[in-house]
Amino acid sequence: MTSKPKVEVAREHLNKAQEEAAAGDLRDTVQWSFASLEAAIDALAEKHRIAIGEQHWRRRDAATQLHSKGVLPRDLSELHQLLNEERKAMFYQGEDPDLGELTIEDVIREVETAVRMAEAESE
Amino acid sequence: MTTMTRTWQQLAPRRGAISQLAPGDPDAWAARLRFDRERAAANQPGELAAITEVAIERARDAGAAAMVLSGSTARGRRTSVSDLDYHVIGATSLRLSDLPADIDLYADDVDRFWAKLRNGDDFAHWSVWYGCVLFDSGVIREAVTHVAEHDAWPDPDRKLRQARNALEFAEQIVESGDYGAALEQTRGALSLVARWSLLSKDVFPLARDELAGQLEQMGQAKLAVDLRRSIRERPSPDDLRDALVHARAVTGATVGAAV
Repeated sequence: MTSKPKVEVAREHLNKAQEEAAAGDLRDTVQWSFASLEAAIDALAEKHRIAIGEQHWRRRDAATQLHSKGVLPRDLSELHQLLNEERKAMFYQGEDPDLGELTIEDVIREVETAVRMAEAESE
Repeated sequence: MTTMTRTWQQLAPRRGAISQLAPGDPDAWAARLRFDRERAAANQPGELAAITEVAIERARDAGAAAMVLSGSTARGRRTSVSDLDYHVIGATSLRLSDLPADIDLYADDVDRFWAKLRNGDDFAHWSVWYGCVLFDSGVIREAVTHVAEHDAWPDPDRKLRQARNALEFAEQIVESGDYGAALEQTRGALSLVARWSLLSKDVFPLARDELAGQLEQMGQAKLAVDLRRSIRERPSPDDLRDALVHARAVTGATVGAAV
């Protein structure tokens, strides 16, 4: 099976997140934001030879490594952890997302940073 | 034929079975804790045991009243896609994100845990039925006694709502072309449908890798096959679509627009 390039997937998921945010659906916004962030990290990690192994905790660590290498302007590991916890709580427990001090606009802005970096590196 | 449950090892996943163990009895509870210590040692390879030791220490330091090892690890049924699941009660701000594993931490204060149990939250019930008690100041014992004495049971309708939401999102992810996410979301959605289906027939859902066997015993052969394949294989996107369509039909819902 041929998979779509991760950088394309990241942008498309981000577009979905923005649509859901505009529609006021916080739950779906969180789901798509997480999916977009993971795809962006995958794209960047592949470029920088960081092993992911389709494991969430490795992507979280990759976010830190990508920041250490100067690829990402900020360490997005905590955002990754937050979105992962919240989407699981929604998915498996039916709970509403709790973003703490962040707004959903903050989340989308941070995810977009990762997507833009992934796009820039793929050019 | 109904099997009599005489020990924690034999706890049948059937409504009412836990009451046969008389968990309010001190000897019966001591047997549960002994059994759980043995399971924790047997079911965690060295690396996982070390992570759990750190988690226990942090939970105690945070003032937790109880901690339970849950899910596939507690059952000794880990797969390549298993997380390490903990349920901490009495401490809500535990940080484990620096540990090298996919950890699912469910943290509730004591009141919220009781509210979840009374509202039929299946994860809270799972901790009571099959969770591996790592330490307990008494809240888990009280909860087990409550479940036994009141025939408390997870709410199938609650699970059905979660399953339908999960199916809807899984359908969209499958269409997005993101295979890894599609497989994970489909697996999760099928697990939720399986848990609802079992609960609605008074069967307690075990670990994810055991659900297919439980479904087969109920005659849900296709759902069982689809779920097992989503755990152990990498089905094609068309197979994932097909599995979701069938799962939708099982829940009695119409197929979503994305499929």
